[in-house]
Amino acid sequence: MSNTSFPIPMLHSTIRIMAPFLLAAIGGLFTELAGMLNIALEGLMLIGAFFSVIFAAATGSLFLGIALGIVASVLAAYIFGFISLHLRANIFITGLATNVFAEGLTMVLAFQIFGNKGVIRFANLPRLPVLSNPSLQRIPVLGDILVGHNILVYVSWLMVVLASIVIYKTAFGLRVRGTGSNPGAVEATGLSPRRYRMYAILISGFTCGLAGAILSLQLGAYVPGVTAGRGWIALVAIYLGNKTPLGILIACIVFGFAESLSNYAQGVIDVPADFILAFPYIITVVAMIAYSMIRHYRLRGSER
Amino acid sequence: MDRKRIAGLLSSTTGLALTVGIAFVIVIILIFVLSKEPGRAIYYFFVGPFTKSYYFGNMLNQSIGLIFTGLGIAVAFRSSTFNLGGEGQAYAGAMAATVICLSLPSLTGIVGGTAAILGAIATGAFLAGLSGFFRMRWGTDQLISSFLISAAVILIVNYLVTGPLDDPTNSMLTTARIGQQYQFLRIFKPSKLDISIVFAVAAAIATYFFMQRSHWGYEMRMCGINREFSRYAGINVAKYLMVPMAISGGFHGLAGAVAVMGTHYRCLKGVTAGLGWNGIAVALIAKNNPVAVIPAALFFAYLDAGARAAMLHADVTFELAKIAQAVIFFLVTAQALYGFFTTRKRVAA
Repeated sequence: MSNTSFPIPMLHSTIRIMAPFLLAAIGGLFTELAGMLNIALEGLMLIGAFFSVIFAAATGSLFLGIALGIVASVLAAYIFGFISLHLRANIFITGLATNVFAEGLTMVLAFQIFGNKGVIRFANLPRLPVLSNPSLQRIPVLGDILVGHNILVYVSWLMVVLASIVIYKTAFGLRVRGTGSNPGAVEATGLSPRRYRMYAILISGFTCGLAGAILSLQLGAYVPGVTAGRGWIALVAIYLGNKTPLGILIACIVFGFAESLSNYAQGVIDVPADFILAFPYIITVVAMIAYSMIRHYRLRGSER
Repeated sequence: MDRKRIAGLLSSTTGLALTVGIAFVIVIILIFVLSKEPGRAIYYFFVGPFTKSYYFGNMLNQSIGLIFTGLGIAVAFRSSTFNLGGEGQAYAGAMAATVICLSLPSLTGIVGGTAAILGAIATGAFLAGLSGFFRMRWGTDQLISSFLISAAVILIVNYLVTGPLDDPTNSMLTTARIGQQYQFLRIFKPSKLDISIVFAVAAAIATYFFMQRSHWGYEMRMCGINREFSRYAGINVAKYLMVPMAISGGFHGLAGAVAVMGTHYRCLKGVTAGLGWNGIAVALIAKNNPVAVIPAALFFAYLDAGARAAMLHADVTFELAKIAQAVIFFLVTAQALYGFFTTRKRVAA
């Protein structure tokens, strides 16, 4: 019995774990398509995580907490975008700066408000509503895996659909993609590539804020450094997913499963958790090398 | 110096002064908002590192690793190669040095110590060189691949520290202590400052001459300025996708070895955390000039030391330094602050 029921909770937790990856990666996809390497995802998520739980506890309203967490993250994204685009700083360096800033700011504020730098628990924090529908849950296997998550998990799926539509079916998406692939053409149509870059950065701020909110609100506490490299994994998912929403979804499933495995596998299979956590990075670097090899030899072939 | 260079120097100096000034103003504002005794906190943040020889020595000690990683990044950036894996390379270097020291308990300090340092350099150079190799061979994005390899390496070293190499007699997450003969001489007691600061300064000067005066250094810089032109000039450009990366990784590995053999005497979990990222900031403040890396590293260490002193003597927390460093990070490449005299050169692809 335990052998057959073991994968179901593991897959269930895969779905829960991948939601923040997915949201951050979808936001990062916009900046990536607009031609920017956005390594600030991690920091933006951390800001979202910190402020959403603080405001949710302060106001007693889940909605206000999430909304204000997103506002904080979008604001940070705006600073990041302003310095990168208007003060013409290197976006990679300002991305690093955003991460350092987020770490410093959350620590300093946590210390000043709560007097300690450890985990901050909020006793009367409202819980995230969970979708539970007995009739849906009766669907074998899928019902157990896909039903019974908090609503933000479903929001993250919705985001993937929404992003696909915006990117491929709207003028806005076309312009964002054009900004990355041919900014000169965008400029020639009388539009400002810089403006679309800023929009893309703000979108990444929005989704990262939401991603952070999921992390801290489902814990019901603020844990310092709660993002723990998830923003980086999200960035990696963009590359493994070959910069498409569907590819990112698949990459996030793979990474979510790896992390879920590392939680469940302890004592079951003889692989240290650290190795399983290293897996997303290794598989992505291997995929990147394979991809560049194929491109390299194909180009060479066409030259002959 | 011609007028253009003077103008460039002037605008980059005022830009840097502006950057640092803005960072300080933000820290002061934050202290006024957050602290109940802002005067005291501000005094210790700015003057604290100079009030006690212990603080001052530790500040100098902290700059050592930053000089090495800053040099590593400066060499890579000068050559237009991108090493984003400094964190993992330094950590792996620390682990390599520890393993070598622990497995050679009965050698003399000079022989075994040299082996440990060379092992650390080789480890870092290999890890960074991999990214260089992939880019040279197949055009794989170096920025991303160096980061990914480093991220995986950090987790694997974490496993070694907490798993097979964990010291069971110690409650911390750390390896066993390295032998007495491998511990660098402390030269400014009671602070942790050790002799390796001499090596760090020497390395900076040597790197300067290597980049400016040697054949390899010249070709690396040429590739950094214009790879296509260098190809037509007959320079082996493929080689210089890998060599600067390996040098860069070697410096990071060295920084890891020094952190273990000079300061901690054991490989703690995350012993080099931050050295890689901060090395990038240090190199940028120094405008990738190896000699300027020394004051830039000292400045970064000063911010840390100031925040530490302010934490001990007033009611603010150490992470204030992070905010100051972040502000500098934010603005150090902002061309709008640096006028139009300086050449427009993009650091990351």
